[in-house]
Amino acid sequence: MSAARRMNGALLSIEGLRVGFRNASGGVIEAVRGVDFAVAAGEAVGVVGESGSGKSLTMLAVMRLLGAPARTTGGRVMFDGQDLLDVDEARMRAIRGRDIAMVFQDPQSSLNPALTIGRQITDVVRAHRRVSAGEARRIAGESLERVGVREAGKRLDAYPHEFSGGMRQRALIAMAIACRPRLLIADEPTTALDVTVQAQIVDLIAELRRDLGIAVLFISHNLQLVAEIVDRVVVMYGGKVVEDGPVEAIELSPRHPYTGLLQACVPSLTAPVGPLVAIEGAPPRLGRMPQGCPFSPRCPRVVARCELEMPALLTEGERRFACWRPL
Amino acid sequence: MTRFSHALRGIGWTGWLGGAIVVLMLAAAIFAPLIAPFDPVALSIEDRLLPPDVAHWLGTDQAGRDVLSRVIYGARASLAVGIGAVVIGALIGVSAGLFAAYKGGLGDQLVMRIVDGVASIPLLVWAIAIVGIFGVGPVRVGPLLLPNEVKIVLLVGVLFSPVFARVTYAVASRIVGADYVRARYLQGAGHWEIVAGDILPNCLSPIIVQATLLVAIGIVVEASVSFVGLGVQPPQASWGSMLSDARNAIYSGEWWLPVFPGLAISITVIGFNLLGDAVRDLFDPRSETRTLVA
Amino acid sequence: MLRLIAGRIVSSIGTLLFVGFALFALTRSGPGSPARIVLGADATAEQIAQFEQANGLDRPFVAQYGSWLSDILHGDFGRSFVTGRDVAVEIFNSLPVTLSIVLFAFAIAVGFGVGIGILAALRPGGVFDRVSRFASVVGLSIPAFWLGIVLIRFIAVDLRWLPPGGYVPLSAGLSAHLKTILMPAVSLAIYYVAVLARMTQASLQETLRGDYVRTARAMGLSSRQVVLYALVNALPPVINLAALSFGYMFGWALIIEQVFNVPGLSRALLNAISQRDFLLLQGIVFLFTVIFVVANLAADLVNRVLDPRQRVAA
Repeated sequence: MSAARRMNGALLSIEGLRVGFRNASGGVIEAVRGVDFAVAAGEAVGVVGESGSGKSLTMLAVMRLLGAPARTTGGRVMFDGQDLLDVDEARMRAIRGRDIAMVFQDPQSSLNPALTIGRQITDVVRAHRRVSAGEARRIAGESLERVGVREAGKRLDAYPHEFSGGMRQRALIAMAIACRPRLLIADEPTTALDVTVQAQIVDLIAELRRDLGIAVLFISHNLQLVAEIVDRVVVMYGGKVVEDGPVEAIELSPRHPYTGLLQACVPSLTAPVGPLVAIEGAPPRLGRMPQGCPFSPRCPRVVARCELEMPALLTEGERRFACWRPL
Repeated sequence: MTRFSHALRGIGWTGWLGGAIVVLMLAAAIFAPLIAPFDPVALSIEDRLLPPDVAHWLGTDQAGRDVLSRVIYGARASLAVGIGAVVIGALIGVSAGLFAAYKGGLGDQLVMRIVDGVASIPLLVWAIAIVGIFGVGPVRVGPLLLPNEVKIVLLVGVLFSPVFARVTYAVASRIVGADYVRARYLQGAGHWEIVAGDILPNCLSPIIVQATLLVAIGIVVEASVSFVGLGVQPPQASWGSMLSDARNAIYSGEWWLPVFPGLAISITVIGFNLLGDAVRDLFDPRSETRTLVA
Repeated sequence: MLRLIAGRIVSSIGTLLFVGFALFALTRSGPGSPARIVLGADATAEQIAQFEQANGLDRPFVAQYGSWLSDILHGDFGRSFVTGRDVAVEIFNSLPVTLSIVLFAFAIAVGFGVGIGILAALRPGGVFDRVSRFASVVGLSIPAFWLGIVLIRFIAVDLRWLPPGGYVPLSAGLSAHLKTILMPAVSLAIYYVAVLARMTQASLQETLRGDYVRTARAMGLSSRQVVLYALVNALPPVINLAALSFGYMFGWALIIEQVFNVPGLSRALLNAISQRDFLLLQGIVFLFTVIFVVANLAADLVNRVLDPRQRVAA
């Protein structure tokens, strides 16, 4: 399948998206600098990058949830044949939660502490479907059961503080899938959780995708974690997509040096024990973006051209990468 | 970034205004005899109820006294009571808060329960009732004959103290438990060294903010108590008693009598509130301070 | 939950015992014993001893306090040594007047304060935000009694819309009643409108930034629902402040009643002071203190119900 065809059959297609912050002198500092990628119906895509790579901002921009001073400065977000950046707020509200749902990093603070879990799920159901209170509660219970909460009917009356961290994330996912959206955006859904619980949540998301056919956009800084459940990985750096391709290809033969280093960062259980690898330096600061490739200051393979000229995102079969000296 | 620098400039502007008002009022209070054009208590029958003119900028009252001079002298009573009560309250409250946070255990419980008790006293009702029951006469302390205001200062000071005790306690108990304070002990630092060197400096900014805002409340309390005749005694000038005297003027139309002392109170209170808010925004971004109400 | 409420009530009673004792001790340590005040300066020692024995004033101090308190629990505030009148009757004759002004002012303060605060928080930089900022600085700085004087001048004297003072009870008709308490209530309320608007705005602005609000938006809840989500979490400090305000209002009502010449508890208290009527004074001040403590207790309990974490927390 060529990139072009995939874009055509895409459920969500992000095209040239730009997000910027307005600075003191009235100028705009761009944090997301022309991002393109697409998600097909039922597909699971991982978006990987360090903090500051623009991955979360991209997702918030898709959901139109950017808060001041950040705002979308360009591009399109095509969903169902319409540009989400163009629809009115009422329409967008109807899409959020019903067609595209999003869960966030910290389940502790992402649930309303003053309301029961059941109330929070039923509110989502009733925001999108004209059902009675009883029916909404039944759907909420079903949803909670679906995400693996035992005795879900009873737990509807529990408050968030009565749930463990993993349970809270499950409850948030239950809210997200209550209206059976076609796309679930999970923004670092496991980062705030215990390692043992992380795997359960990842499995749960994989299971929901398989059983309900929900497309998943899984945002993470951890390439290995994402690789377990996604079909395709998008690697972001410095507000740009630097590599994009099927997960096996990315894992086996990363083309962008950054992807390669990301993979080397996490110690492998199967490979012989060697020194831990860390990527030297820090991600570029906002407003201090290098002129050329954003990774050039840290790149072990850097050549003069990298610092002067931004490489274009080239398509090679099913994958794309932006590098002058690919691996 | 634009917003931030704007906010900073905004703070600056109102903060400066508040500071200027406070300095101006303090100067008026301290240098009243030098500034006031007339004797604030000198009666003059032929000058009664003169509207503002070149000689009497703010007019004269029923007894022919110069309103401007009385407003200037009135600043003394207001600020003395407001600041005096805050100083007393801070002394009591900060000591109590430090003691409780530092001691912990039973002493902590006891002191903070007393603080809760004092905090559940409605300020103005007690101020009026207790000053009333002790009478408005001067207080004799040894050879000194102190004016009635001393009672108000002491009482209001005690009732202000929970604010200081709580804010000090909150900050101090956090610091007492901090690792770096334990480390200082292990290095052999003494108790006083820790209290004065580590704990107090950290409590200082919320204390200053609360103190500034409380002065504003103290000023209004003084005016209110004087308004019902239980504060500053005639013929001495106080903004509250001037307003009380001006009540008949509501009907007869000598507008300058109620307007100027009222404006004096409001402007002073605005000054302290603006200054307090600015200090809070500047020094206490985490906002240890509480919203005050009286 | 029940145990928690009970605990909170017990501690409030403890506070009242402690504060009541302070009040009792302070009033008794004022100059002049009740006997001297009633019998006059030239009473003989014998007469005084007789009076004190008859009124139980020779008993130990704590015992006197105990019986005063237990009598109050039975609705008996004692009989004034000075006027010979029943203190409870005296208090409850003027209480409705004060209560009606305070309740009206409280309604204004909560309605406008919370309302302005919410509108200001929803649109930072908008009209209400600016109004709220300005009004909170000004409202905090205008003493109620001065505002009362100004209102009398403009509304009553110049415009003749409302009577300049006095009081008409509710039993004499609602509109006549409201006409007499409108200006006192507004004068009393302005400060608290400012305080509550400030607190509501600050609190709601903070909760609106909460992650759960972002979640609610990400799930497509309506703006009204989203605001509601933030509001349930923003309310507790506002409720606490409202309760404090309610308690404090009674104090300022005393001053306001003087300005508007309203025959409420202010008159009774000032009479008690000028006649050195200890029992009446103690009764009034204690009543106000009870109201203050109970209002705060009520706020605390409401907050416990609102905040599920406190319902279980010990």
